[in-house]
Amino acid sequence: MDVDTGNMTQTNLVDKVVVPGDVVLDLTKMENQTIKLGSGLHQDCDYISVMQAGKLRLSKPNKYWVESSQKRYVPRLEDTVLGIVVEHRSDNFLVDIKAPNLAFLPVLAFEGGTRRNIPKFETGTLIYARVVKANGIMNPELSCTDASGKAAEFGQLKNGYMFETSTGLARMLLSSPTCPVLEALGKKISFETAVGLNGRVWVNASSPDDVILVSNAIMRSEFLSGTQQRIMAEKLLERLQKS
Amino acid sequence: MEDRTDGRNANQLRPLGCSRTILNRAHGSARWSQGNTIVLAAVYGPKAGTKKGENPEKASFEVIWKPKTGQIGKQEREYEMILKRTLQSICLVNVHPNTTTSVIVQVVGDDGSLLPCAINASCAALVDAGIPMKHLAVSISCGLMEEGSIILDLTKSEEEKLKAFAYLVFPNSPLSVIDKVHSSKEEPIEHGIITSVSYGAMPVSGYFDCLERGRAASAAISEFLRRSLQKQSSEDASRAAQ
Repeated sequence: MDVDTGNMTQTNLVDKVVVPGDVVLDLTKMENQTIKLGSGLHQDCDYISVMQAGKLRLSKPNKYWVESSQKRYVPRLEDTVLGIVVEHRSDNFLVDIKAPNLAFLPVLAFEGGTRRNIPKFETGTLIYARVVKANGIMNPELSCTDASGKAAEFGQLKNGYMFETSTGLARMLLSSPTCPVLEALGKKISFETAVGLNGRVWVNASSPDDVILVSNAIMRSEFLSGTQQRIMAEKLLERLQKS
Repeated sequence: MEDRTDGRNANQLRPLGCSRTILNRAHGSARWSQGNTIVLAAVYGPKAGTKKGENPEKASFEVIWKPKTGQIGKQEREYEMILKRTLQSICLVNVHPNTTTSVIVQVVGDDGSLLPCAINASCAALVDAGIPMKHLAVSISCGLMEEGSIILDLTKSEEEKLKAFAYLVFPNSPLSVIDKVHSSKEEPIEHGIITSVSYGAMPVSGYFDCLERGRAASAAISEFLRRSLQKQSSEDASRAAQ
């Protein structure tokens, strides 16, 4: 009981919008507890204070983070991202993932990758990959295999259309249950999409009309509620059926 | 005490306006207006690499000041230097070492208090871009009249008439879960000062009066900045969350 009331007074900023400088936790009052800090928070001696403006979130029992949406991406371990190949070096590809530094994709980080069958990615190739190394100091490292070494949909994305969004919209598209706009579009059109947590989305469908419609619907859905997204998607679909 | 030309009293600020995310291509942008002084700030970055002469273990900042008319001269270089040092002291430079963040400031309207307006705009643009910061910066101009009274938020005509005035930058007042009693040994963070630029000769007591008045007024600007950040992000988040 004591621990509960202690937590309540300390985290009265949860689910509120915080700005840089706000102190959200006082570590001197919380002894023998492990806390996990996510993005947007940093430790300043005995206090945890906010680095980026956004909404403070708590996932019981002890994970805190600040939810915010940016145009650029801060690499995090185990995120799936869409990168564009910039250069081909001898032992890795340099890939742009909208982060402060270019990412390295080792030429052997593919399923069954050996020195003899290195994929030939030209500059401008779109890759769906997973972040395997991300600290603030070194260049982040990517891999086109999952943890067990299988390809699992990673690799080059051919055809289709890629557009950029904010990181907040990318997270919303990947949330479960399925994002309303994707569900509404999926009922009438068959399309495939890859969403990178770094704010890039790739859409592919059988005809260019469908690709354009799905892309426009996704781009417009960022600030709409669930019902608004469904209404907007249905209106766009009606327009396509008429023509 | 004579009336000010626009009818304000000594402690009254001009109407403040702040809008963020107005430029499509910039990673963060903000437009800050105080009366007729309007400044547009854009932030690009962090980008890889630092310039020669900068410490590669820290993030470095680059400021480009674009005046409304005329060529770039010494005044603009001075503003760039002051802005760069102010922003360096409010941002956390150890989070992204060996990167450069560019801040471009475009003057849209100049009616006095240009540097404070630019600092407020740059701070809002950095928040919009998600650059890690220790706290926000709030800036205000204070003028010292002949009889020793202080007026706030100077217009261009007031700046030209006054013998001495100062631009001051304070940290914002944070929301905190720490008890006030617990931290009464130290000064609250709002009592610090980040930057002070003074023009003209003023007595020491006059300068300290300016600091006091400026600090009191900065609480109001800090509250306005917090509300404008909350409004925009709560609108976006509540729509996206549903």
